[in-house]
Amino acid sequence: MKPVLVVGGGIAGIQASLDLADRGIRVHLVEKSPSIGGVMAQLDKTFPTMDCSICILAPKMIECFRHPNITIHTQSELVSLEGTVGDFSVKVLQHPRSVDAQKCTGCGLCSERCPVKRPSVFQACLGQRKAIYLAFPQAVPLIATIDRDACLWFTQGICRTCETVCSANAVEYEQKENTIELNVSSIILATGFEQYNPKDIGEYGYGHYRNVLTALEFERLVCASGPTGGVLTRPSDGKVAHNIAFIQCVGSRTQTTGYPYCSASCCMYATKEAVLIKEHEPSSHVTIHYMDLRIFGKGFQEFVDRAQSNWGVRYVRGRPGEITEDPASKDLTIHYEDTEVGKVEKNTVELVILCTAAVPNSDNNKLGGILGVKLDEYGFFSTKDPISSPVETSRQGIYVCGSCHGPRDIPESVAEASATAAKAAEDEARLEVKG
Amino acid sequence: MKVAFYPGCTVQADQIGYEASVRNTMPKLGVELIDVEGASCCGYPPFSSVNEAAWYYSSARNMALAERMGLPILILCNGCHLSFTETKHFLANNPIIKAKIDEKLSIEGLTYVGDVELIHVFDLFHNKLGEEKIKQAVTKPLTGFKFGAHPGCHAIRPNKLIRPDDSENPIKLDELIQWLGAETMDYPGKIDCCGSSLAPASGKTVMEIAGDKLRMVKALGLDGLVTTCPFCFKVYDNRQRAIQSTVGASVEFPVFYYTQLLGLAMEVKPDFLGLDLNQSPVDSVLARIGGS
Amino acid sequence: MHVEDSPVASTFDEHRLHDTLMKMNAEVCDQCGKCPSACPVASRIDGFNPRQIIAKVCSGKEGELIRSGVIWTCTSCLKCKERCPEEISPYDIILALRRQSIREGQQHPAAYDDMVKAVIETGVITQPQPVRTRKRERKDRASLGLPPTQKPKDQTKYAEALQGLLKEA
Repeated sequence: MKPVLVVGGGIAGIQASLDLADRGIRVHLVEKSPSIGGVMAQLDKTFPTMDCSICILAPKMIECFRHPNITIHTQSELVSLEGTVGDFSVKVLQHPRSVDAQKCTGCGLCSERCPVKRPSVFQACLGQRKAIYLAFPQAVPLIATIDRDACLWFTQGICRTCETVCSANAVEYEQKENTIELNVSSIILATGFEQYNPKDIGEYGYGHYRNVLTALEFERLVCASGPTGGVLTRPSDGKVAHNIAFIQCVGSRTQTTGYPYCSASCCMYATKEAVLIKEHEPSSHVTIHYMDLRIFGKGFQEFVDRAQSNWGVRYVRGRPGEITEDPASKDLTIHYEDTEVGKVEKNTVELVILCTAAVPNSDNNKLGGILGVKLDEYGFFSTKDPISSPVETSRQGIYVCGSCHGPRDIPESVAEASATAAKAAEDEARLEVKG
Repeated sequence: MKVAFYPGCTVQADQIGYEASVRNTMPKLGVELIDVEGASCCGYPPFSSVNEAAWYYSSARNMALAERMGLPILILCNGCHLSFTETKHFLANNPIIKAKIDEKLSIEGLTYVGDVELIHVFDLFHNKLGEEKIKQAVTKPLTGFKFGAHPGCHAIRPNKLIRPDDSENPIKLDELIQWLGAETMDYPGKIDCCGSSLAPASGKTVMEIAGDKLRMVKALGLDGLVTTCPFCFKVYDNRQRAIQSTVGASVEFPVFYYTQLLGLAMEVKPDFLGLDLNQSPVDSVLARIGGS
Repeated sequence: MHVEDSPVASTFDEHRLHDTLMKMNAEVCDQCGKCPSACPVASRIDGFNPRQIIAKVCSGKEGELIRSGVIWTCTSCLKCKERCPEEISPYDIILALRRQSIREGQQHPAAYDDMVKAVIETGVITQPQPVRTRKRERKDRASLGLPPTQKPKDQTKYAEALQGLLKEA
């Protein structure tokens, strides 16, 4: 039996790995960042159940770590591929953490004492981390990593405080990158997606107006493990925001700034976030400025109905034309038309959340080239056929699940992950038969 | 540098203060203004809403005249500049219409090729002359002043056609003002319309639209509103009394053409800058500058 | 709208007009509401709404628009064209409707007739006006040292060319 390679350690990659591992197939799970978890680890709660996201994700992450059939390779990326289904020879490049994984206990003291700060990608750049850092409290593996572009030792030849304070002697500046060669029977791509940067949509002022945020930034703001401890303080003045608006389809459903497709989960996650605001402070005013409500999943319509009737979230149909900022208060005025009554109005709020498009992972082009698989016109991975082969790529033995081939929500990603695990298991079975 | 000078019919008819300020500043910066002999209306707004071919003909005709002069064409009015730009783009992609227009141009013995360079006032200062040249010419910096730039719709939209400045975050006019030593403010509604093109249909709404901007900049305590477009200036400066009676609030506020401020910073006498023709209360600003 | 896609024809009937307007992308409008919310007129004049204008165009009601005064209350700010996510330009569609309205001799602001007449007769919208200073003194081009205005060398030929084009379409 050969192992299977899973590329991408978000919820889809984790699910696929667990499914395969549980049926006795070995898995190499390759993740480019210091921890598995993906975007789901950054969310506060999940729709429509309002479960705490990390609470349902972390057990799976730990299971991956402990599973005898799964080997996790973090800080790693696929660099070459040869062969065919049943016999893929791959090379995985592991970038150095500069920390000995066997010795580090994840205590975090190194990070506390490190003098260098950088924007934290995990905190959607609303908060900071240090040059030596743990990805997030529930990171798997819970091992520190040094950002060599930020670290004073690597950039200026000074400091080494982390080495001094580490009681496990785990800091290893001389650690080198390492290439692993694997022979696998099939490959599952689960590399996920990125968020559209709405700075090009000038009329919404993102990047100019401090109190205009993206949805992912909002998730970190509202999350208890976020930079404000879950208090909805707005960037310009630290005032707790009680009057908040969401704008849908930012960078989606457009021929101009962004992409023409629908990003699938924003109507639901905006509702979820609106409910979170109301849970934090029931007297808050929350408005969702939408185009259509795409809430077709099981329990979705009911979820939105409850948001309206139980929580008083206001939904207004109309894509806003522009946002202006009051120079003194930094409050924002949304110019919109309530298209259901044909009235042009203004909504002045303290905080605006832009529900941005889910866009292809910027590595897809490179990865597609290495793997020899086709991408679609947007840069997502292509599938062979949407109906008869929805998780197969253009190359036999390479499968896709989750948002790396288009925007989708967590339940769909998990279902696809299991589908790809089944496909990979079929390939294994064929190998067995061949002998 | 030499340019074919096309002020447009609005400037020449009643915005002569603007024309004076241009003729008395640009040559001092090394720009030789050569009038386009035989020029006519660009076609906006008389023909654009009435007859497409007549509109493109009107703009093409003036570009043909500039082509014959072998010079790039300096355009003062935002409306004219967009009109020429749209015409250039359309005729380049519509050979059948172009043929019709060529036929009519031949009546006056004109030919239109479509390769004349169109220079907007912003770009004359920004791209052609540049920061150093402007700053060097400033002998009396406008320190202590904070102005609001009004770039005007047709200088910044539509982004699909190349416009002198960005449609959502235009900065050129702000920078030009800063080069004179003054500060600027990115006030809400900076990219809003003056409303002037609505005049044939609803004068009252023009007043309301223009009134909003004047009230905004006044409330923010700015020292003046600055523009380069005669349509915009006409509404904001010449019509303040009418705006006031329409909106029922004070909108008295100094409004300038950029070249007037440029002239003051270059210590050109106010009389040569048409400043006595500004209807808005510019005297307070002039007194502070000490220009008399 | 792709400016290059709008044809100029010698005669128009409403069917042809509908086709022209649809070629300007009107049919992909999903009535999102961005254009009226950017529009300075829609927030002030009840009855002027670029989104509703596009809806009428899509349902073949151009005739109604052409016969109403509503298409004349656009201020040409171009925000709708700039912001439309489907690259529709309500502004260009309104201009096309205006031209059709003129062709059919429908009601329109008299100012346009005046401007057209003036340009044909003099080459410009308005002849030089004497203006007054803040102190109510009269000034004119000559008193400011400005040269005579630019105008067509041969007004007759110029008018002939323009009138020819106005007749044709």
